[in-house]
Amino acid sequence: MHNEDPVHKDRKRVRRVAIVLSTGSYQREAPTTVLRLAEKLLERGIEVNVWAFEEAVTLTNREQIEHNEPPSLKPVLGESHAPVGRFIDQLLRAGLHGAKMDWVTCILCAQERGVEKHQMGGAIVGTLGDLWKFVGGADQVIAIPAYR
Amino acid sequence: MGRLLVVESRDLTEYAAARSLPLLVEELCQKGHDVTLFLVENGVIAARRGAAAGLSFDALSDTGAHILADDVSCRARGIRELAPGVCPSDLDHLADKIADGFDNILWY
Repeated sequence: MHNEDPVHKDRKRVRRVAIVLSTGSYQREAPTTVLRLAEKLLERGIEVNVWAFEEAVTLTNREQIEHNEPPSLKPVLGESHAPVGRFIDQLLRAGLHGAKMDWVTCILCAQERGVEKHQMGGAIVGTLGDLWKFVGGADQVIAIPAYR
Repeated sequence: MGRLLVVESRDLTEYAAARSLPLLVEELCQKGHDVTLFLVENGVIAARRGAAAGLSFDALSDTGAHILADDVSCRARGIRELAPGVCPSDLDHLADKIADGFDNILWY
């Protein structure tokens, strides 16, 4: 239901969303939620720009290894446990034929964590200048805070 | 007035600072803003029917806030019934609302 008051009647549809993420894979559920939301936004033709810093730079580490689940859990969880990088890769590839997602990893945070040279294909190592441009070019900005 | 999205991913019963969230939403509504409160991840815990914190959602909804809870987060936590004032939702719904545009998005 749209508001029909004068403040909202001229609101334009969002075309580009910037997401700022600082959480790694196993700290919080935030990366999963962000990727779920990014997928939905891409389905709607909305471009998504993700700027990952701090622990989030490890999400796109290409050295992530997929483990087999323990035999007792396979009937419940499946054969293996895919790392989050696989989901990111799928979303980046989906952008080839639809709304695109750009994923930029902070170079300083990546260097500090030893993953600068290990970023997966499609993830771009960048700077705060990229964050600035993402924010400036976005219709909506979502900043996900990091909590203990 | 503005159209605002507040996303709460923390368990409101765990973080002391999160208890100010209902006050924030209430005040924004009272100032005439169109506020959507979207509960996701551990944020849905307080929206379980019977949870003590759930009592505030009913009153919060009466102030005009649209309070939604992500279904995946609820199912992952075994939440089958939501507190009064909280409506079931999902990320498709959230994406639709974001596509329409907000003046500001606050993600906790």
